[in-house]
Amino acid sequence: MDFEKILKELKESLLLVLGNQYSGFKKETKKDIEDFLNTSKDKLERWTKLLANGELSLDEYEWLIKSQKDLLAMKGLEKVGISKISLGHFKNKVIKTVVDIIKSLIL
Amino acid sequence: MEKIQLKIFSLALLAMLILSSCAAIRTAPFDQYSYQKAVEIKVDASRLMDKATTPYQNHFQEVENLFRDVEKIAAYEQNKPNNGISYQMWKLLADEDKNLLAGFFKEWNEKGQFSKVFLDESKSQVVEAMDILIQYEGKKDKETENSLMGIILGNQ
Repeated sequence: MDFEKILKELKESLLLVLGNQYSGFKKETKKDIEDFLNTSKDKLERWTKLLANGELSLDEYEWLIKSQKDLLAMKGLEKVGISKISLGHFKNKVIKTVVDIIKSLIL
Repeated sequence: MEKIQLKIFSLALLAMLILSSCAAIRTAPFDQYSYQKAVEIKVDASRLMDKATTPYQNHFQEVENLFRDVEKIAAYEQNKPNNGISYQMWKLLADEDKNLLAGFFKEWNEKGQFSKVFLDESKSQVVEAMDILIQYEGKKDKETENSLMGIILGNQ
């Protein structure tokens, strides 16, 4: 499994799908998605391999992706403070889209 | 007599500087109780999470006890001035709809028990989140010291 290729496809598909769905797709949302994928690359790779090997179910995979989003919100609080972080920015729709794309790529 | 007056004036000035510096610091000062409770809850949660490969119902009471402690510390953090970030962190950890501490136990309850692989991966996420909080609490000590020193040195 070439995870670099999967990550590249995931990034492109994610931006395309969300860009088509939301007319008000903002630059900062694009940056949030790229930051999320880059920061979470190692975990995404490990979880995707476990999913592909059948050691994680799709539900468990989705739970972990969402936990990563929530973890980054904690890190964001620590780094930029409460007044600047937009916790709702990274919508659950993004998580669902990541799972759908990974599902179509490897399952 | 003048020397005594000068000493009293210096002490009063120092006290005023320290008091005004507390208002200037936007983060609450380091609190040993907050730090200690966060570490204790992390250790208790970690030990309890290790049991998630067994049925949740066998550990229901332990989970209840853990979240009673979480509720108490969240209420404590909520009422400290300039403590919004710590409180928000506890809120995230205690929110069942977030996939962190409370989300882990909610999932365990719903699924009954976890596979070893999922336990290891999900526990690691929760522990990382708790470490962020603990490290943030620990850093307050240095931040407070630096801010106070900056104000004191700047006024010398």
